[in-house]
Amino acid sequence: MIPQVDSHYCANCLENMPSSEARLKKNRCSSCFDCPSCFHTLSTRATLAQPRPAPEAGGGDAKVENKQPKKMYYLSCFNCRWTSRDVGIPDQPVASGGWPERSAPHAARVSQLLEHYRAVAQQEKQDKLERERKKFAIRGKYITLTDKTGLTGAVARSIAGLGDAGAGAALAGFAPAVPKEDVEGLPEDAFTKEVNLKQITSMPQRLASPEWQPVSVSRLHPLAKLLSVKRSQRCRACDHNLTKPEYNPGSIKFKIELLAYYHVPEVKIISCEMIKPGAKSTLLLKLANPTGHEMALQLLPAAPPPPPPHGETEAATEDKDDSIEKSLDKSLKLDKEPRWPHVEPPAILTRVTPPAVTLTLAPRDDAAEYDDDARHEPSHIILWRKSNKLALRLELTTDPAAVEGSPARTALTVEYSYRNTVPQSITASQNRDHTLYTTVYLDLGTVGSAGL
Amino acid sequence: MELQDTYYNKSEYVETASGNKVSRQTVLCGSQNIVLHGKVIVQSDAIIRGDLANVKTGRFCIISKGSVIRPPFKKFSKGVAFFPLQMGDHVFVGENAVVNAAVVGSYVYIGKNVVIGRRCVLKDCCMIEDNSVLPAETVVPSFARYSGSPARFVTNLPEAMPDLMTEFTKSYYQHFLPTTVS
Repeated sequence: MIPQVDSHYCANCLENMPSSEARLKKNRCSSCFDCPSCFHTLSTRATLAQPRPAPEAGGGDAKVENKQPKKMYYLSCFNCRWTSRDVGIPDQPVASGGWPERSAPHAARVSQLLEHYRAVAQQEKQDKLERERKKFAIRGKYITLTDKTGLTGAVARSIAGLGDAGAGAALAGFAPAVPKEDVEGLPEDAFTKEVNLKQITSMPQRLASPEWQPVSVSRLHPLAKLLSVKRSQRCRACDHNLTKPEYNPGSIKFKIELLAYYHVPEVKIISCEMIKPGAKSTLLLKLANPTGHEMALQLLPAAPPPPPPHGETEAATEDKDDSIEKSLDKSLKLDKEPRWPHVEPPAILTRVTPPAVTLTLAPRDDAAEYDDDARHEPSHIILWRKSNKLALRLELTTDPAAVEGSPARTALTVEYSYRNTVPQSITASQNRDHTLYTTVYLDLGTVGSAGL
Repeated sequence: MELQDTYYNKSEYVETASGNKVSRQTVLCGSQNIVLHGKVIVQSDAIIRGDLANVKTGRFCIISKGSVIRPPFKKFSKGVAFFPLQMGDHVFVGENAVVNAAVVGSYVYIGKNVVIGRRCVLKDCCMIEDNSVLPAETVVPSFARYSGSPARFVTNLPEAMPDLMTEFTKSYYQHFLPTTVS
C-alpha cells in the first residue's frame, strides 16, 4: 500500500485547507494555537476589560466607549495554565485571529538561500539538457527537426532571454556566508550566575519553534497548530485506490473503501489449553465469512502458498490476535521500494494438525443476529455453527524442545474461495471465482504457562 | 481473540424491553434525564449524573465498572451552566474512567482510568488509551489515537475502525450473560 495525502485539515477546528494554501502557511492552522509550554491546544478566554485603565485600546478608543466594559480575549492552556498574558501578548478585541505574528530573525537569509538553490537547481537542469542535446547531435547521423530549428523548450527560453538570464542574475546577486575567526565570548557571569531552572525552557519547548528557539520562558509564544491529513491508500502493484476518505474532515465515511476486513475470512481464538513441551492440546478457533457469498475453507499446514493459477498473490499475513495493532504497524511502514513488506516468520514450535475437510461458511447476513442460538453439530471438528460463523476444534502438537516460558506461536494457512464482485471487463467474467491463501500466525501465550 | 463470556448475577441487573442492562449498584441521578437507546450495558458502581443535564447514549454502549458520566459545565460571568452530554453508538467506556465531554461520537473507545475534561469533543472513530488525561475543551478528530497526560495524538486508527468497534461492542453484549444460563 502506498499512503497518500488526500486533504489537509486542522484537528482542532476541523477546517479543510487546500494543499497549496497549506504549503503557503507551512502546514499550520491560522486560527488554532498550541501551548508552547505543554503543547496542548490553547483555548480562547474572554474577559471584560474596564476601558479606563486599559491603555492598549488606544487613547481615542478609550474615550469613545468609556462607559461600556469591552470584551477582550486571550489564549489560555487548560492543562498547564499558561496564558498569552504571561509573555506580554496584548489581549485581542476579536475572538479568533488577529494575533500578532512574529517574523523569524533569519527569514530574509533563509528565503535568499532558498532562491539561490532554486536557481542553482535550474541551472544544473539546463546544463544537463544542453549536454544531452549535444550528445545526441554528435551521435546522430541525421539532423532532426528540432536540432535544425533549435527549438527545444530550453533553447526557446534562452533565446527569449528568460530562463538563463533569471537564473544567472539570482546566482550573481548571492552573497555567500563569510566565515568568522573571532566569536563573541561568553558573558563574564556565565559560570557564576545562578541558574533559575523555572525560567529556562526545556529542549522540546525550544525545538517546537525552530526559528526562534527561545531560551527563557518569557519568550515562549503560541505555536500555530500543525495540520493533520486525511489519508488515502493505493495498491503498490496495480495503483488502484484502496481507500479514499470523504473530503469533509468530520466525516468517517469513505468514497472508496476496499478493506481486507470485508473479504478475508476472520480467524479468532476462542480458547486454548495450556501448551506444554511435547504434549498435545486443543485449540478452539472461530472462523467467520465477511462476504456475501458462500465460502469454502480449508486449513492447511503453514507453508509457502502454492503458485496461484492466474498470477495473483495474496500476501496478507494477518495476526488476528490484536488486529488493530498489526494493521497499524503495517500501514505505518513507509518504505518506498515497491515490494511487499517482508514479514519475518516467527519460530514455530507448535504445530496444528489441520482436519482434511473442506468447510463451508454461509454468506454474511445482517439479519442473522436476531436468529436463535447456535446449532451444535455432532462432528468432532466443528463445535457449532451460527449464520456465517463456525467454531472449530483443532489439535496442537508442541515440540518437546520448546523452552518453558518462551512465546508459543503457531501458524496455519487458510485456503478460501473468493468471488470477485467488482465488475471488470466483459471478457474477464469467467474468472470470477478465485482460490486465495492467507497465512495466519496465532500467538497462544507462553509455553508452560496458562494459555490464552 | 474471541471475547470470553462475562457473567453477571441476574438479580443484580435490570434488563429493559429495549435490551439495556443496568446494574442495581449504580448511581443514576436524575433518571428522567438519562436516555439509553437500547442494548446499553451499565455496570456496577458506575455513576451517571442526569441531574445536572441530559445524558443521551446511542445503541450498544458499554459503561464499565466505576466509571463516571458527568455532563460538563461552563462558567459564565453570571454563574455556571451545565450542558447535555451526547454519546453515539458503539462507545466503550473503560473501568474507572471519568467522562466530562460535551459530545462523544460513535465508535469511540475510552480506555481504563481515563479522565476526559470538561467540554471535550470526541469525534467518531477515535481512541483514548488507558490512563490518559484529556484536558478540558480538547477536540479529538476522527481516526486519531490519543495517549498520555496531557493526551496527545499518537497514531492513526485503521480505516475499518467502525466495523471493529461494532463487532467489539456487539460481541461484548452477546457475551454478557447472566449466571443462571450456562
